[in-house]
Amino acid sequence: MTGTPRTLAEELRTRPDGGLIGLLRARPDLLSPVPGDVTQLATRAGTRASVVRAVERLDRFVLQTAEALAVAPDPCPYDTLGALMGGEAGDRAVAAELPRAVAELRAQALVWGPDDRLRLVRTARELLAPSAAHPSPTGLGPTVTEAVAGMSPGRLQEIIAAAGLPTTHDPVTAAAALTALFRDRERMAALLDTAPAESVAVLDKLLWGPPYGGVTDRPAPHLQWLLDRGLLLPAGARNVVLPREAALQLRGGRAHHTTEPAPPPLSPTTERDPQLVDNAAASQAFTALATVEELLKEWDLGGPAVLRAGGMSVRDLKRTAAALDTTEQLAAFWLELSYGAGLIASDGEADERFAATPAAEEWLQLPDPERWAALVAGWLRATRTPGVVGTADAKGRALAALGPHLDRSPAPEVRRRALALLAGLPPGTSVPGAAVLARLQWERPLRGGRPVAGQVSADGAGDAAGPAGTPAPADDLRSRLAQWTLTEAELLGVTGRGALSSHGRGLLDLPEDTTAPTPAETDAAAARAAARLAPLLPEPLDHVLLQADLTAVAPGPLHRPLAEALGVLADIESKGGATVYRFTPGSVRRALDAGRSAAELQEFLTAHSRTPVPQPLAYLIDDVARRHGHLRIGAAAAYVRCDDDALLSEILADRRAAPLRLRRLAPTVLAAQTSPDQLLDGLRAMGYAPAAESAAGDVLIARADSYRTPPRTAPTPVPDGPPSPDPTLLAAAVRAIRAGDLAATAERKPVHAPAPAPGSLPRTTSAETLATMQAAVLTHSALWIGYVNADGAASQRVIAPVRVEGGFVTAYDHTADEVRTYPLHRITGVAELADDSV
Amino acid sequence: MNGPLIVQSDKTLLLEVDHELADACRRAIAPFAELERAPEHIHTYRVTPLGLWNARAAGHDAEQVVDALVQFSRYPVPHALLVDIAETMSRYGRLTLTKHPAHGLVLTCTDRPVLEEILRSKKVQPLVGARLDPDTVVVHPSERGQIKQTLLKLGWPAEDLAGYVDGEAHPIELREDGWALRPYQQQAVEGFWHGGSGVVVLPCGAGKTLVGAGAMAQAKATTLILVTNTVSARQWKHELVKRTSLTEDEIGEYSGTKKEIRPVTIATYQVLTTKRKGVYPHLELFDSRDWGLVVYDEVHLLPAPVFKFTADLQARRRLGLTATLVREDGRESDVFSLIGPKRFDAPWKEIESQGYIAPADCVEVRVNLTGTERLAYATAETEEKYRYCATTASKQYVTEALVRRHEGEQTLVIGQYIDQLDELGEHLDAPVIKGETTNAQREKLFDAFREGEISVLVVSKVANFSIDLPEATVAIQVSGTFGSRQEEAQRLGRVLRPKADGHEARFYSVVARDTIDQDFAAHRQRFLAEQGYAYRIVDADELLAADEDV
Repeated sequence: MTGTPRTLAEELRTRPDGGLIGLLRARPDLLSPVPGDVTQLATRAGTRASVVRAVERLDRFVLQTAEALAVAPDPCPYDTLGALMGGEAGDRAVAAELPRAVAELRAQALVWGPDDRLRLVRTARELLAPSAAHPSPTGLGPTVTEAVAGMSPGRLQEIIAAAGLPTTHDPVTAAAALTALFRDRERMAALLDTAPAESVAVLDKLLWGPPYGGVTDRPAPHLQWLLDRGLLLPAGARNVVLPREAALQLRGGRAHHTTEPAPPPLSPTTERDPQLVDNAAASQAFTALATVEELLKEWDLGGPAVLRAGGMSVRDLKRTAAALDTTEQLAAFWLELSYGAGLIASDGEADERFAATPAAEEWLQLPDPERWAALVAGWLRATRTPGVVGTADAKGRALAALGPHLDRSPAPEVRRRALALLAGLPPGTSVPGAAVLARLQWERPLRGGRPVAGQVSADGAGDAAGPAGTPAPADDLRSRLAQWTLTEAELLGVTGRGALSSHGRGLLDLPEDTTAPTPAETDAAAARAAARLAPLLPEPLDHVLLQADLTAVAPGPLHRPLAEALGVLADIESKGGATVYRFTPGSVRRALDAGRSAAELQEFLTAHSRTPVPQPLAYLIDDVARRHGHLRIGAAAAYVRCDDDALLSEILADRRAAPLRLRRLAPTVLAAQTSPDQLLDGLRAMGYAPAAESAAGDVLIARADSYRTPPRTAPTPVPDGPPSPDPTLLAAAVRAIRAGDLAATAERKPVHAPAPAPGSLPRTTSAETLATMQAAVLTHSALWIGYVNADGAASQRVIAPVRVEGGFVTAYDHTADEVRTYPLHRITGVAELADDSV
Repeated sequence: MNGPLIVQSDKTLLLEVDHELADACRRAIAPFAELERAPEHIHTYRVTPLGLWNARAAGHDAEQVVDALVQFSRYPVPHALLVDIAETMSRYGRLTLTKHPAHGLVLTCTDRPVLEEILRSKKVQPLVGARLDPDTVVVHPSERGQIKQTLLKLGWPAEDLAGYVDGEAHPIELREDGWALRPYQQQAVEGFWHGGSGVVVLPCGAGKTLVGAGAMAQAKATTLILVTNTVSARQWKHELVKRTSLTEDEIGEYSGTKKEIRPVTIATYQVLTTKRKGVYPHLELFDSRDWGLVVYDEVHLLPAPVFKFTADLQARRRLGLTATLVREDGRESDVFSLIGPKRFDAPWKEIESQGYIAPADCVEVRVNLTGTERLAYATAETEEKYRYCATTASKQYVTEALVRRHEGEQTLVIGQYIDQLDELGEHLDAPVIKGETTNAQREKLFDAFREGEISVLVVSKVANFSIDLPEATVAIQVSGTFGSRQEEAQRLGRVLRPKADGHEARFYSVVARDTIDQDFAAHRQRFLAEQGYAYRIVDADELLAADEDV
């Protein structure tokens, strides 16, 4: 092997195993399937899809470095890159960070070659280099050579002459001379000294991009001056462009208006007592549990209908929001949270409705910390984002809560990263959300996300585009995800007053090097966090305070059975740290309807009250009980019977009883023509307290059954890309690649390869195949290939390759006389044809 | 983390009264939270924007409020609530009304966008004049009240620092011979005087008249006193002559019958709000003298037109006296902006525990209606139902039995329906005071009742307000204005004056079982319970049976 690698594959081959493992971890898409050898690995690392994926995951400074490399000559010495990044004057911060950026690009196999010959992978270069269709964030235009490519030689001569350069007939020499002029600082300065002020103003406007401007058929004199000297070169019919070399010279050599070598600081910080933060977070965690519980209770008898397109209707969302006493946006969050934790789902019946799942029943029985852990673990890994509910997606579909199309793949990663940033601060410290967003944007900038305003009219009519370094507005998906994360973390009690709580830190307490934890790891972390949360949650109480104004105050959370029993016997009036219950005749009747007797109720209150039961309350219960069941209604015959015939007369005489169509059967019995239900309602509306009775004469206990879906699993998150590989897989993969590589490149005894027998398939190594194919694309020559089709049948074909990309070769197949696409790995070998054979 | 206070998400504060820190906590939160309910164990306070602005007016800042909540709260206080409190409080005082040496009344702001916002409001535009500089705008002096009212509605209450006219001086002294202002009365007077204008909230029977007299003695200026009715006017006069250096001749009565204007004039709301041919003929009373102080008795009953007149009186000191700021018509904000913020309040129970008002035993007596009555009730028209059940013969019978039970004690029977009262008067052989009873007759009867010459008096709702019957130890309520809590408080007040022998007062409500009467009673009694008065419910049958046993 030679000292300097000639290809990316060769360089990768020389890297230690650790380096390859790092590459595969950073770009796990290269692993599926495991490449056969290093050549395959390098090929795959150079495919467009994979490069795009890798480039999107670079931080802003590394991306800026890659962008600078894309506008630099190829290969590019390190010093040249340094000058592009730091300007001619140099920039200490950039100089300090640049080695890191280059190392990162190398590690990701986006850059290879020694420092004096840095090479950006070709696909990355194509991706990042400026073109008319894809302006670069650098704001630079094409090089002189590129820009003059289509120009008439005569026009080029005129430019050369106007710029004061020696005339030449060769366009290549002419372009080189112009390039050299623009690169020479002194000559350039001399040229600009003669420029009219308006021309300089135009240059200033185009300087930081976009470099394109519009001109009319008869450009103004100051534009004509620039056009004449090649400082503006035509780009299409009515557009002109400032060539790259000229722009760089004017910029003092800098590829970027502003470089951001260091991440934006997380500031200003606010420090609070960590204990205070933990308490605030714990109280919010408790509220979160109460809210979900309330939602389940609200839906106990079955939730709203599922829309035909999936999800909940806006009206049902509003109703749920009202029931939870919150906004629709927050209601959507609680709904999705419950859905993500598998507590609610659609029942899958013919008239589909949402309802609590059987898992919800189990969840309700768990202790508070465990319930919290279940919610938070579901939240952390969910890709469904309630934040988009109520908006429309790119296709104009309205996004409904619990509906389809809510998955946003980067959500879990953004969530984790945002929390990790908070975890990096000292306990109890919070920063404004904007600082977190700015940091996240730096870490994962949007490629081309910075505003590239519409074309500037070189005539001066348009407004100047902002400098290329302006940060993107914070409305991209990742920023919105981060914003939601911060809000949701507060709602869940992961953070308190904006700072990560100590139990919140537990969530991030994962084995080292875990970028995307498995569900099991998330559950474990959530359980650990919950364990830390447990002592902070208020202890459930077993007593209430009864008062003469017919209220009961629970000065804290109650044990579940007590809370449930009280919820039936009294109406909840106020919630928060405490709960205020109010006893009304209606609520007492509800308890009696649920089958409790007055004596039981009195006993229940005495047992759970710290204070004596006030006389008015005892009286209320007895009074309602006295009237309760006084009237009895039969289901089958629909009758009213009562020992008190005056009461029946009273009912009959009441004109509100008319719709019930009552008729007196006996002094103590009335019959009705309506169903018992309507009859009950009607009489209650009139202020009576009737009780339903069975055919045998005993009181029917009306209690509604809970409604549940069949067993349902929680929705599976839809992560972005393949799962992160574990060390075992990584080591095995590298071993396999090495072995394949050894097989492919081991020096063999030189076998005199016999000319392939006529009719037998050509055999070449995959690297050779690829190289020959790519050469054939450039030379437009035809090749003879051996090919194995999907059924394993071998054949020989003559093809003229058109394009080699993504492991496929697109070629004109002379044998089949049409354009076909072949997977490279199916091609057994390739041989060039004699020139006269086609 | 074991404070006596629990902050609820609906901005109510629950205070555990038996907690050792309860007193300190009550003092800390009282300036900004209104006591809503005060039953035996847990008191409920509510934080409202008006309450917070009251606190700002009294010189408290958001920091103190937040501190009080955080310090005494048992659970962490929701952050959003604290932010909301700070935000609400910061709204007060950004706008101030001051007196400009050259331009008269001006509105200045410390926050320009706020001024821009309010000046864009259509309601504010007609009230202001020229813009003097970016932060100052002239206000028409006549619109001083109007603009305060409007700004409050816009959520930017203005602080009124424009000061007061002194009014025509008139010497008034308290004559403290053998009595003295009670400590809380003293505090109320000081609180009011210090704040300039405002409302003093004291329970019935706690001596609001004396607070008025104290304020007059501070002002030492001609005073206009507005009261609910003529009887009340006479009582004010009587009390002022007794307690201050004022003589009969210095005090005028301005009512339906007399139109005297003296250095101290007592006028009734009714005469002021009498409208003839679309105009209020008695309005000139406000301008007839250069009043230094205007006293509003029973602010919670202030009729709407009086608010309108009051808006023009903003340069005079105003003192509002009331037992409760709760207005059934919800015009608390007008009281705040036109009369002034609350300057002093003391909970009912607290004054009772100091022995200044008598404890009361409240009993609801449930009467079973007879079969015929129930039938008649069921068939009655909806609007007649209450009247019917409130005036049934069964109730009549029980009421009479109750009066007999307390024979020899000074007993008031209070009701709503005149024929019911007439009938009761006839059966009990007791005089009836109703709307048509002349004032002279009323006073004669009251005097006789006071002297003990008669022990039972039947009164209609005309006696609801401001009559002073020191020796009533038993009040029996047979019917009321539906569920009015206001009325309940007033009626209970009748028996809460301290008794010479320390005898416990009794307050009976006679209620027909299973009727709308019972629902209204429940509503009124909830108010009693919330004021901390434990009440009992007894069946009329049991009560009467017990009597027979005796």
